[in-house]
Amino acid sequence: MELFLQSIINSFIQGGFFALWAVGLVLVFGVMGVVNFAHGELVMVGAYTIWVLHAQYGTPYLWSLCLAILLVMMIGLAMERFLFRPKQGDPLGGLINSIGVLFILQVVAHVVGGTGPAKQVAPPYAGTMIIGELLRIPYQRLFALAISAVALLLLWYFLTRTKLGWSLRAVAVDREAAALQGININRTSAIAIGVSGALAGLAGGLMAPMTNIYPTMGHNVLITAFIVTIVGGMGSLSGAVIAAVLYAFLHTFVTVYVSGTIATMCGLLIMVVVLIIRPTGIMGKRVSE
Amino acid sequence: MISPRIISIVVLLVGLVILPHFLKFHHQDFLIFLGINILVVVSYRLMTLTGEWSLIHIVMMGVGAYTSALLSKSLGVSFWISMPMAGISAGFVAALLCFPLFRMTQFYFLIGSFAVGEAIRLAWIYFVKPFGGSSGINNVPPPEFWGLDFMEPIIYFYLVLTIVTICLFILYRIENSRIGLTLHAVHWQAPLAESVGVDTWRYRSLAFIIASLFVGIAGALKVHYLGIVTPHQFGVGTMVFVLIWVILGGYNTFWGPILGAVVLSVLDESFRTFEALRPAIYGALLIAGIMFLPKGFESIAPKVRAWWRSSRASPSP
Amino acid sequence: MTKTPKEVFQARFGRRRFLGTALAGAGAAILGSFPRISIAGTKTVKLGMNIPMTGDYAPWGLPGLYGCQIIANNLNTDGGVKIGGDRYMIEMVAYDHGYDTEKAIQGFKKLALQDKVKMVMMLGGSTVGSVLPFAMRRKMLTSTLLPSDITPETPYLVAPCESHPLYNVTGVEWLARKNPNAKTAVIITTNDIEYGKQSAATYNAAFEVEGIKVVDVNFHGFDVVDFAPIVSSLLAKKPDIFCMATDVYTTPIVEQLFHQGYKGKIVSCTLDGYQDVIAKTSKEFVEGLTYQFPDFDDPALNKPGINFPDPGGFDMAFNKDHAGEWSAVAWEYPSILLNWVEAAKAAGSVEPVAVTDAMKADSSPPHTFGPGKWWGKELWGLSNAVVGDWPVVAINNGKARIQEFRSVYNWLQKYNNVLKKHMQALDLRTV
Repeated sequence: MELFLQSIINSFIQGGFFALWAVGLVLVFGVMGVVNFAHGELVMVGAYTIWVLHAQYGTPYLWSLCLAILLVMMIGLAMERFLFRPKQGDPLGGLINSIGVLFILQVVAHVVGGTGPAKQVAPPYAGTMIIGELLRIPYQRLFALAISAVALLLLWYFLTRTKLGWSLRAVAVDREAAALQGININRTSAIAIGVSGALAGLAGGLMAPMTNIYPTMGHNVLITAFIVTIVGGMGSLSGAVIAAVLYAFLHTFVTVYVSGTIATMCGLLIMVVVLIIRPTGIMGKRVSE
Repeated sequence: MISPRIISIVVLLVGLVILPHFLKFHHQDFLIFLGINILVVVSYRLMTLTGEWSLIHIVMMGVGAYTSALLSKSLGVSFWISMPMAGISAGFVAALLCFPLFRMTQFYFLIGSFAVGEAIRLAWIYFVKPFGGSSGINNVPPPEFWGLDFMEPIIYFYLVLTIVTICLFILYRIENSRIGLTLHAVHWQAPLAESVGVDTWRYRSLAFIIASLFVGIAGALKVHYLGIVTPHQFGVGTMVFVLIWVILGGYNTFWGPILGAVVLSVLDESFRTFEALRPAIYGALLIAGIMFLPKGFESIAPKVRAWWRSSRASPSP
Repeated sequence: MTKTPKEVFQARFGRRRFLGTALAGAGAAILGSFPRISIAGTKTVKLGMNIPMTGDYAPWGLPGLYGCQIIANNLNTDGGVKIGGDRYMIEMVAYDHGYDTEKAIQGFKKLALQDKVKMVMMLGGSTVGSVLPFAMRRKMLTSTLLPSDITPETPYLVAPCESHPLYNVTGVEWLARKNPNAKTAVIITTNDIEYGKQSAATYNAAFEVEGIKVVDVNFHGFDVVDFAPIVSSLLAKKPDIFCMATDVYTTPIVEQLFHQGYKGKIVSCTLDGYQDVIAKTSKEFVEGLTYQFPDFDDPALNKPGINFPDPGGFDMAFNKDHAGEWSAVAWEYPSILLNWVEAAKAAGSVEPVAVTDAMKADSSPPHTFGPGKWWGKELWGLSNAVVGDWPVVAINNGKARIQEFRSVYNWLQKYNNVLKKHMQALDLRTV
């Protein structure tokens, strides 16, 4: 029973992360039509930033987190301006560019971190909350869950209640019509990837005190983000969030009661099933090909 | 009158036969792997003719490799049988996968093929019997023929040269046959093709199966040289390299992907001294390549030809 | 003495240009092949290292190169080594295969044929498996850290230092003696064969011998980001001992144990970066945590019989230039290098076949922690691994301290049948 309840808590926390990872990918794909293969590396950069600023130089965690968000956002903006904008309409070209960035960022991480064992960041919110005799939740994880939820809510507000957010959605639905309406496509793309980068940096910064930090850690992020995004729907953010939580539950429970490898295999197979039956995902809109 | 193209191919082949004798051992190895990779990219290109890009191609190479490894190591089957069996098994698996995979197209097909491929790879890791888990299968025996020592790089290189040349020839003929033209039609004029009764699903599947067959053979070639097959050889990282070679080399001509594989592999090897920084240099090259040569390396040839022609045409002072 | 992460970082960045770290790592390979200034009349012998220097396995390769360079430098500054009437300077030549089997083969060939090295040191596992056909045909002396690579067809493959994971039995023995009330254990490890399954089999056997029941074994993949679910599921079995037969993931796993309120004993194979573990948990929590890899500034290493020159000095030299990069292999490859030097002196030659014969001819070959014995025929068909004593390390008051040295050889002599049984239960190769 204890294990069951603990797993529920673990699932929610994982779900928060999966959602942060996936939502960034969906934003870029929806608005810019390109798959950013370097998305996992952006999260990795966020984590390394915390390691450098907070663990090595002692900058307070919250400031380091803000700087991580800012830094990755700027990387995203640079990618849009120099790599994705010239390749508008050429998804393969954009893809190759993002792969180039992937390699470069991994080497940067090597240079910054050296090749020792994975980096560790001591959690700034140490200690564990104990509920009754059954549940134990580390404060750091609660913090991560809370911030993820806040970030996702802010994103939802931005997209549904602000003019800028509406313009992003307009471009995602129909690029040409949006341009005809006077929406600046380049600026909208920049905003999309800026937000995506900010979310990636945030995710990395939140993960940093909770996981091994190493140059290829983005690989898992990318695969999970793909699975979640496909199942939830490539054009739908709410779909991505729901799928993230569902997938987190599936993965956590299968890992606990069967095995972690089987859990990932299940995720992949579900993805294939969804692609066959309902390619636009649980909540996806029709994305024009 | 033999066409200049045939002459240049013969010259190239003769050159390749002589080349390894001038190289050091580990460069001979490099040539072997390059030859195998050329078969991988050219077979991949057959698929892209239909306009579909998959991420499962390298896993099919693995299917071929594992098949050949298991047949020859556990069942004592000779390489000369296990190699074509490798191709057939890869083609067979591809045929089975057509049913789920080709219900998706374009982007979804890309992601779906990735998912299925990754699931297969995880199965190799999980099922230690018979696949050997994450350590794979080792002690795979080399081919036997007339007492030749196939562990010698030069001998194996000639084997690869022979088999890859034959496969490339077949692939070239397929592309220029009616089937090949239909594949092009499926890509560029799908509604029109369907209106004259072409079953696009069947042709996409056919391209996928043939491509998988040939890359399965490439897998067998690889495993019988290395003597070992592991799941890590067929992951996303390797698939990404295949994509890069094809896209940067150019995929409008038969030779584009070959050019891509050769140029990029040679560049990659020459940066060995910068070991830790090598991926970054590679990444920068990718970006430079796609920005300045968006149509691939193959697009240099017409440009050079045009420049040559124009410089000859201009009157000398 | 190991430094805090901040000092580490500043030491590294204060000394070097920003790119220096990567270039140093990459350049280590190049520097390793620059000829050393030699006294007239001395020759140079090249020794190869075919190891991962980049990628996920870099911590089990690159630090070994750094260690070897320190030892080689020391030997060369003393005028080189006298072998068979000549003086030789030692030059380390490294090749990075990034744990890729194809590159491992290319690297081995380059080292053997182009650099003409007289020995190749390797990590172990599938990279060794792929080079063995070529290596054995050329009769190149090759070393590994995994004796499970050894077969009757590999006479020139030796495991002279670490014989992973056999030495883990010592930690279990010691822990069981100190905690006679411990009745159950769980094991967590990776799902690969050469590290994970071998370790699990060894720990299973060690626990059985002590009368402790292993109630759960978890083989996890290399893609785990969050260990909370796995640790929860293991702790649900209420074990007295939690055993980590894993390398890379010790920090997040111990952190989970801490957060989930584990009150039992912990034993592990490695615990690299234990200061990070303490930072994430607490000094009290890790008190008594038992594992197998000492800090080299431990005074217990200065006892007579240890076959490593000036461990404290080595530790200082390493941390001066490569702070923060110490791992379990940092002293193992140098130890193998020293074994080679001894054997070459005994053989009077640097040639691989002669050196191998000299090594095997010594019935009591030097092991890092004392005299050793050739072992392995019972399990793998050929006794090419050196087993001897191994330290049991525990954390006392935030510092790793050797508790005692126990004999791996004695354990194996008594219980190798139990080990064999458990290896076969996991489908591991035995004779």
